[in-house]
Amino acid sequence: MTAAQLVINEIKGYHRFLKFMIFLVVLGALASLVRFIFGLGATTNLNDTYPWGLWISFDVVTSVPLAAGAFTIGVVAHVFHIKKLEPLVRPAIVTGFLGYSLVCVGLLLDLGQPQRGINVLRYWNVHSPMFEVSMCVMAYTTVLTLEFLHPVAEKFGWHLPLRLLRTLELPFAILAAMISTLHQSTLGTFFLIAVDKLHNLWYNPLLPLQFWLSAIFTGLSIVVFEASLVHKYMGQPDESELLATLTKIIPWVMAVYMAVKAYALVFLSHGPLFDRPVLLALFLAEVLLGVVAPFCIFLTKRIRSDKRLQLRAASLVVFGLILNRFNVSMFGMEQAGQQVYVPSLIESLVTLGIIAAHILFFVLVAKYFPIFEHHPEVTDYRIPDGFRRIEGHGHKAAGEAVH
Amino acid sequence: MSSAPIDYDKTKSFLIDTTKCTGCRGCQVACKQWNQLKAEKTHFFSGEGYQNPPAMTEHTFTRIKFRDYQKHGQNEFAFYKEMCMHCNEPACASVCPVGAFRKTAEGPVVYDSKRCIGCRFCMMACPFGIPKYEWSKAFPLVRKCTGCYSRIKEGLQPACATACPTAITYGNRADMLKEAERRLKNRPERYFPAIYGKEEAGGTSILYLTHQPLDELGFKPVTKRPLPSYTWQALRLVPGIFLGVGGTLSAISWFQQRKERIRREEEFKNSVVKPEQKEEGQ
Amino acid sequence: MTNHWIDLKNSDAIFIIGCNPAENHPISFKWIEAAMDNGAKLIVVDPRYTRSASKADIYAQIRPGTDIAFLGGMINYALQNNLIHQEYVREYTNAAFIIGEKYDFQDGLFCSFDDQEKSYDLKSWAYETDATGTPKRDMSLKHPRCVFQLLKKHYSRYDADKVCAITGTRKEDYLKVAQAFCSTGRPDRAGTLLYAMGITQSTHGTQNVRATALLQTLLGNIGIAGGGVNALRGESNVQGSTDYGLLFHMLPCYLKSPEFHHVDLKAYNEKWTPTTTETKSANWWGNTPKYITSMLKAWYGEHATAANDFCYSYLPKRMGNYSYSKIMERMLKGGLEGLVCMGMNPAMGGPDSGKAREALGKLKWLVTVDLWETETSIFWKRPGVNPKDIQTEVFMLPAASSVEKEGSISNSGRWTQWRYRAVEPMGDAKSDLWIIDQFFKRVRTLYGKEKGALPEPLTRLTWNYGNGHEPDVHLVAKEINGYFTKDTTIVDKDKTLEFKAGDQVPMFKYLQADGSTVSGCWIYCGSYTKEGNQMARRDASDPTGLGLHPKWSWCWPVNRRIIYNRASVKPAGEPFNPKRPIIAWDAAEQKWKGDVPDGPWPPMKDDKEGKFPFIMLPEGHARLYALDLKDGPFPEHYEPMESPTRNLLSSVQNNPAVSVPNNVSSDLAKFPFIGTTYRMTEHWQTGGMTRSLPWLVELVPDMFVEISETLAKQKGIRKGDKVKVVTERGAIEAVALVTARLKPFNVGGTLVEQVGMPWHFGYAGLATGDSGNMLTASVGCANTNIPEFKAFLCNIEKGGSKA
Ligand SMILES: Nc1nc2c(c(=O)[nH]1)N[C@H]1C(S)=C(S)[C@@H](COP(=O)(O)OP(=O)(O)OC[C@H]3O[C@@H](n4cnc5c(=O)[nH]c(N)nc54)[C@H](O)[C@@H]3O)O[C@H]1N2
Ligand SMILES: Nc1nc2c(c(=O)[nH]1)N[C@H]1C(S)=C(S)[C@@H](COP(=O)(O)OP(=O)(O)OC[C@H]3O[C@@H](n4cnc5c(=O)[nH]c(N)nc54)[C@H](O)[C@@H]3O)O[C@H]1N2
Ligand code: SF4
Ligand code: SF4
Ligand code: SF4
Ligand code: SF4
Ligand code: SF4
Ligand SMILES: [Mo]
Repeated sequence: MTAAQLVINEIKGYHRFLKFMIFLVVLGALASLVRFIFGLGATTNLNDTYPWGLWISFDVVTSVPLAAGAFTIGVVAHVFHIKKLEPLVRPAIVTGFLGYSLVCVGLLLDLGQPQRGINVLRYWNVHSPMFEVSMCVMAYTTVLTLEFLHPVAEKFGWHLPLRLLRTLELPFAILAAMISTLHQSTLGTFFLIAVDKLHNLWYNPLLPLQFWLSAIFTGLSIVVFEASLVHKYMGQPDESELLATLTKIIPWVMAVYMAVKAYALVFLSHGPLFDRPVLLALFLAEVLLGVVAPFCIFLTKRIRSDKRLQLRAASLVVFGLILNRFNVSMFGMEQAGQQVYVPSLIESLVTLGIIAAHILFFVLVAKYFPIFEHHPEVTDYRIPDGFRRIEGHGHKAAGEAVH
Repeated sequence: MSSAPIDYDKTKSFLIDTTKCTGCRGCQVACKQWNQLKAEKTHFFSGEGYQNPPAMTEHTFTRIKFRDYQKHGQNEFAFYKEMCMHCNEPACASVCPVGAFRKTAEGPVVYDSKRCIGCRFCMMACPFGIPKYEWSKAFPLVRKCTGCYSRIKEGLQPACATACPTAITYGNRADMLKEAERRLKNRPERYFPAIYGKEEAGGTSILYLTHQPLDELGFKPVTKRPLPSYTWQALRLVPGIFLGVGGTLSAISWFQQRKERIRREEEFKNSVVKPEQKEEGQ
Repeated sequence: MTNHWIDLKNSDAIFIIGCNPAENHPISFKWIEAAMDNGAKLIVVDPRYTRSASKADIYAQIRPGTDIAFLGGMINYALQNNLIHQEYVREYTNAAFIIGEKYDFQDGLFCSFDDQEKSYDLKSWAYETDATGTPKRDMSLKHPRCVFQLLKKHYSRYDADKVCAITGTRKEDYLKVAQAFCSTGRPDRAGTLLYAMGITQSTHGTQNVRATALLQTLLGNIGIAGGGVNALRGESNVQGSTDYGLLFHMLPCYLKSPEFHHVDLKAYNEKWTPTTTETKSANWWGNTPKYITSMLKAWYGEHATAANDFCYSYLPKRMGNYSYSKIMERMLKGGLEGLVCMGMNPAMGGPDSGKAREALGKLKWLVTVDLWETETSIFWKRPGVNPKDIQTEVFMLPAASSVEKEGSISNSGRWTQWRYRAVEPMGDAKSDLWIIDQFFKRVRTLYGKEKGALPEPLTRLTWNYGNGHEPDVHLVAKEINGYFTKDTTIVDKDKTLEFKAGDQVPMFKYLQADGSTVSGCWIYCGSYTKEGNQMARRDASDPTGLGLHPKWSWCWPVNRRIIYNRASVKPAGEPFNPKRPIIAWDAAEQKWKGDVPDGPWPPMKDDKEGKFPFIMLPEGHARLYALDLKDGPFPEHYEPMESPTRNLLSSVQNNPAVSVPNNVSSDLAKFPFIGTTYRMTEHWQTGGMTRSLPWLVELVPDMFVEISETLAKQKGIRKGDKVKVVTERGAIEAVALVTARLKPFNVGGTLVEQVGMPWHFGYAGLATGDSGNMLTASVGCANTNIPEFKAFLCNIEKGGSKA
């Protein structure tokens, strides 16, 4: 059997859902090809009035906070040393890694000159939020890649790297948090330049702080969200006990977020807030459904450990964040009386493909790599440890790879 | 962004007196000619009066906007030239990740196409909606008025200013401001009492005088603060935050580890040895 | 222009009537704006609210074709309110002249009209003279038959209400205009009047111009800085073309072209050399024999001798009317074999284009010399015709454009500026000079070979423009300036001047009637002298500060920047306005300072040598009362040929001296709206030069018509809709531009809508569209035949498709 046949056979065995995801990914890939052949103008509904569309709003501005689970849980688990949460870390890192990789893909598709992406490293402009985000995304993707190497190294039994990585776990978690703080908030800074463009409901100087805070509680919520789904659909153990710990943290962050948002809205906004009914509705939906409602849920002790409601609240948070990022980067930027931007088929296919790719790769990674089998309590990974104490773990896996 | 401080008083500036603009559009054509820009395909008129083309684009760096309306039963027929404002502190330059835009000491905000990665942040950032994208191309770049940098380097005036019979005066910003103020004072009945661009976006190299109120002509009200300062107020905190977050988390981590160690040591001292710990502790 | 472009800045009031300089002469606004910065008021009188109007302090709407009513009303206003410049009018105009007893004016008609011939007997309007033949004057201006009293009486009928009922102008606007402009009747204020096609393109176009001149003369605005009657010329060198004899009744430099009964030079000179018994009249046209002889010497050189009347007999003699419309009429009847179109586009530019295009098909051959393929050169494959049905053989010769050749260009201010070749001609294109040169040489050769009737007028032409591939344009210019044919001594006052044969003539006062000088065009004598090519001068110095720039290029006559400038000073020579002295008599030095004066003589008051200021007229005085126009000594209001109303001022509907053609109709049931054509900045004329330039097509891509909001509502037309416009002559399709800038006219109480349109579109070039001239009528001014492009009747309907 050739490798190709092997792959095909393997795929044939997949669940219908996965096949559908593969289909979407292929479609997305074709769509991006079309973009490169015919150009952005012909294939997207972007134009000089809407230079940034779905790809930036979703693939970048929204995806980045959605991938914030990795750094938040990393901090909670490693920095705050809440060891019992460690089982949640690895899936979160995988999600983060996939998320950021796809952000890079999205960004490259969106750039007019993707081949020159490297220029960001050649010509520095420290005044540019985009420069900062680019540097961070590059750095963080590297960190995530390294972190992602854990399960990979584990699977293939690469001892030395594994040990190195394990040792770096904590420094990486801190580094991740540092970098993430910067770029999560800087995504908000992007829109600080849009004075007189972004509607006052969102425009205020504390936007970066809000972006950062919302990334944190969304990151944690995503972990909840993901673990619940994984439990529900992938037969992984019920982690709702662990998640309850998170749901205790989330409302605190949300409370700070709401306080900042309210303060900014009342004291730091200039100009009319209620002049655009549609925007007002969007704002209310974002705040009431996406923040206040889950906040209340998480606050109630009985509910927050309920597995079903955990998922629901987390979903609301995710929804709220998505809406917030779209509000800031798309809806709130639309000037009154302008023609409304609707993404083109190609744009939508590409974004769908990216989402599908995320799900697909996550499932595949989970399928082929040990991301749910992490039991750090039983091993000491300190260096040097004389290679002695790993027998029980990973050796078998390594053996497998060798055979 | 260039590092040497620029004396904005000495930057070359346009004083565009729309009360003197006849809407002849010589400037529009001169710009296309000098920059060898493609003509847009138009039908009839795409705006008030004889306005064309419908928008500024990759092929149109400047355009005369027409206003044709009635006020108190009187006709108002007004024209004004749209172009890059060549801001003193340009938003486009500040947001560009690769520093493709640069404010020159001579005045024009110029673009180095070789650096550009095509992210369009400049387009988002520009308060006047000036930079345009080559939507027609597979690998697009940004395009906008160059301020005819190549001409002014040679001691010429910009092509549009040269072509203009009446409305454009070109010279040092301080002189242009003085001239604008002189005109406002000389004929107050002719002018709306404002110099657009004097303070807009922190001051620009294009200064407008109008007869009609600015909003009637469709001039955008723009913040008086230089735009880069809006992002810089956040960005300048970056190193601090970076180190702050790192430091804090390290401290917390160290503290937590220590707590944990102490806890474990306490446990170790005070209680029976747990199996795992035993295993580990060997 | 009596004045020049830069001089507009010296004005206190700028009166724009019947032109749209912001759009058609954009650079003029540089100087208009400069004047306004110094407090000048800008007045615009136009049927539409134009880009010029948008800059005006005062705008007044006027119904097309009613300018005489408007201006006549202003004349009346100035007279009634005593705003005229008394001294100027008394001393420098023919106000004091007494008119013969025969003169009469009754209900729209002057005396001695021949209804059959549609003409007046001009002799019946003559001045009353004394025994010596000198016109009688009454310096008190009280004589009932003096021009001033007749004028006053004539225009007393033009009261504000009557005027506004005719012109449709709002009375308050009208009064504002009258007040603002007539305020320049004072010596210390200057008002300039700018006009062009809105004034001239009318069946009474010449009288329109006269009315402007009358007003300016009464206000003392002619000859002064910031004043003048300023015709904004059209085609870039149309001033030059006219100077060089573009018009059928003119030889170069405004010498009249001979008529068939001027059998010899003597007869010609007798006819066209005015005489006067006034010692104070310079009567410059008294020099006609010198100029015609010098011109003939330029044409026939050695062949032209006193013995053979300097080859006068070779000149074609005219017999009738050779105006454009008449030529087209003859062509349509098959009366022409061939046509050479050098830089013109008759399938588009003339009135009633449908007919003109048909007429072209009657030619055996047609030559077009142009930069582009024009409607004329492809008339045989125009929409709606079968090329097979057209037998005309068409030759297209590619011409070099103005930047591809060297030569002079005369602007409206009479400044003749030399320009150089910037680039080589494209492709096979050749300069017009080269083409003419080849034409001439080949035809001459053919005459040599094939003989033919009367070849001498051609074969004997002198033609010495070098041996190069391209004729030497400097040799042409030198010949135009003129040179001495033999050694000559001239005694000029206290100086004795010696000239050698071949020397350039320094100025036209040295031209001779005996064949000793050559000059192709006397008014250009002085443009290319011993000192070199004066037209190429580029010294921008401005010693007077009035923008005369005497060393920048050269201007005819004798580099005089403002003509009739002797009228800017009091009879003793001190300027009326000491703040803007265009010339001033320096009594100590016994000479004029400032601009080149209209003749070197001392001020008028000087008993021995003083001269009247209007030196081109035998009586030396500006004519408030004209003696030689076909349609009356005073401008009188008549309606355009197609008009929505009867004449409210008299029972004579149209200019009586113009015969009504058959394809005009004032049937308001069929054609209820006033149509008018005009230009816009973005296109040039018939569009040959602009409709193929993508950058200009981008600006104005389609043929459109402008209509008011009320007409749009009435007809259910929205902006951007296709519409059809119809007249008695034809129908066109266009896109509707609905705008508040056009408003209906109040015509004696009823509102009449207008339909305005550019005439730039046609079927050749990149951007095509229907031609406005499919609609216009082939009827023109009594004196000049310029067609009435500005006022006709039409209908408009929503929806495309032509009739
Ligand atoms: N851009 C551009 N410039 C040009 C030309 C061109 O084609 N394009 N052509 C050149 C030539 S050859 C010429 S002759 C000049 C002509 O220059 P203009 O005379 O300025 O040209 P028009 O637009 O034909 O007419 C002028 C104005 O007269 C108004 N008008 C019409 N009827 C009347 C009337 O009865 N009374 C009054 N008072 N106004 C009336 C019209 O509304 C119009 O605004 O322009 C020259 N300049
Ligand atoms: N309805 C309407 N009709 C009008 C008018 C109006 O106001 N209304 N205005 C009238 C007026 S004022 C005028 S002047 C006429 C103009 O009527 P035309 O003179 O027939 O029109 P143009 O388009 O100016 O034609 C000039 C041609 O000369 C060519 N050309 C340019 N430069 C050169 C050169 O150097 N050499 C040669 N050989 N050719 C050259 C151009 O390409 C163009 O085709 O139209 C008249 N027609
Ligand atoms: S107007 Fe816009 S593009 Fe021009 S310099 Fe200012 S910010 Fe940059
Ligand atoms: S599109 Fe180019 S010029 Fe604009 S911000 Fe991005 S890199 Fe800079
Ligand atoms: S300065 Fe130069 S590039 Fe800018 S609008 Fe003027 S001509 Fe065009
Ligand atoms: S060239 Fe000058 S007058 Fe003409 S449209 Fe442009 S700014 Fe206005
Ligand atoms: S001739 Fe040329 S420069 Fe002069 S006004 Fe016309 S377009 Fe302008
Ligand atoms: Mo003309």
